[in-house]
Amino acid sequence: MKILIPLKQVPDSTVRVSVAPDGKSIKTEGITWSISPYDEYAIEMALERKDDDPSTVVSVVTVGPARSRDALRQALAMGCDEASIVIADEAIPPVAIARALAKVIEEAKPDLVLCGKQASDDDQGFIGPALAEVLGWPHVATITKAVPADGSVELWREVEGGHEVWTARLPALATVHKSEKEPRYPSLPGIMKAKKKEIPERPFTALGVDASGPMLEVLSMEPPPARGAGKILKDGDPRHLADQLATALRDEAKVL
Amino acid sequence: MKVLVVAERKGTELRRVSLELAAKATQLGDASVVEIGGERYSPLPFVSALAKKVQADAPDLVLLGATQNGRDLGARLAARLGRAYAADVTEIAAQGGSLEITRPMYAGKVRARMRVPLPAVVSIRPGAMRLREGAPAPQVTKIEADAAAEKLTFTKFAAVASGGKRVSLAEARVVVSGGRGLKGPEHWNLVEELADALGGAVGASRAVTDAGWRPNEEQVGQTGKTVTPDLYVALGISGAIQHLAGMTSSKVIVAVNKDPDADIFKVADYGVVADVFEFVPAFTEAVKKVRST
Repeated sequence: MKILIPLKQVPDSTVRVSVAPDGKSIKTEGITWSISPYDEYAIEMALERKDDDPSTVVSVVTVGPARSRDALRQALAMGCDEASIVIADEAIPPVAIARALAKVIEEAKPDLVLCGKQASDDDQGFIGPALAEVLGWPHVATITKAVPADGSVELWREVEGGHEVWTARLPALATVHKSEKEPRYPSLPGIMKAKKKEIPERPFTALGVDASGPMLEVLSMEPPPARGAGKILKDGDPRHLADQLATALRDEAKVL
Repeated sequence: MKVLVVAERKGTELRRVSLELAAKATQLGDASVVEIGGERYSPLPFVSALAKKVQADAPDLVLLGATQNGRDLGARLAARLGRAYAADVTEIAAQGGSLEITRPMYAGKVRARMRVPLPAVVSIRPGAMRLREGAPAPQVTKIEADAAAEKLTFTKFAAVASGGKRVSLAEARVVVSGGRGLKGPEHWNLVEELADALGGAVGASRAVTDAGWRPNEEQVGQTGKTVTPDLYVALGISGAIQHLAGMTSSKVIVAVNKDPDADIFKVADYGVVADVFEFVPAFTEAVKKVRST
């Protein structure tokens, strides 16, 4: 089985994001970049299938600036077999990114495509469903488990009160909410192997896909409003503190 | 502006977010509300039915709730119709021939004001739009999901034993979350009893869901759910930046932690420096008392 994961490089989730002087973007100097967390779950999910069946081939692809190559290298070090990059330095309409990925997928012919449910920079969650739409494939959103069977895959989707289990004939696409285990860390041999692997690249324009599509324009960015200093209750009998808090929530905050 | 609201139902009731959208849509212009009937949500039958409706009615704007299904349906619909798409929007206004919206980015660490060209598909975060109490119930037109478009097979529903009886986390007006400070899943009755006393939903920090103490669906924060309740109560949660990203937009935040330097206190309106095992049972009783008087 061949599994392909489109991934995006984003600021690491531990980065304290701040707005750049232009007021429309974030400061990128000196920040650590990583694979977007949900894409990491998708990679882990694919690698768990490869643990079960070593003939599984797991590839990763990204459409983005040249620095994204580091994220692909990270995925190879985790245990992915192959990686490629479509270089896009300028902002491209999201639907055109979906078209570029669809082109890569039509060439690579994977059985299963796993996308993180959303990238943790723009948090739009558009690319997965849009990619399935461009491909004309069915998709299942926000899965937590994929169990391949003969010519099909069982996809588990966490919903309120339990899991819906769907069966999709291959090829199919799913967006990933979580993997069963936490994403694995790259092993030292994995890192050494990843260093030697070729990462083929080509420019977006070489794909020959339609680059048009609607785009959102950022007018301004700001940090979320700071919360005022709160009240601290301490040094008392727990029962007394509890009464004080309950009364304050009713009379001051008016939420009870 | 012509606006089409896509309503969702939970059981027999319209979801609160659908009412919020319907109310907002009437402010934006000429509004109508549609609901897609089908046994359960599935992308292709729902997109197919909704796309036909949108092509027939030609609304400038399609509004959905930024729920698990709404976000999925909205994205695929926008791709099918070549419309602009914005997800999880918290403010929206018509501005000339386009929309001006506000939405969180970078897991809530930044708020972006953006221009969205029309025609567009927008999903709105539950709780972000005010709902006037006593507003008239919206007129809902029902269309049927397009079963012929289905390419998937529904196999089964695997229910989890717990949950179900409480309100859903993303829409709850009160959320009580537990962290590692509770020391183990056997102590979750403390969280649940307080949640029940407050009429709220139960959440958890990532450390807790990763440890398998609680199901993933209860995780609040980056890679979990973002919640914006009127009252958020964090019990034994230290306040990692990823957790804060999922709850700092709550109206009132209460934190209980025995470490006075815990980061959670930086965002708390009311911080209680105390042992959760001593404080929480007393607080649950105090809440019951205050609510009954």
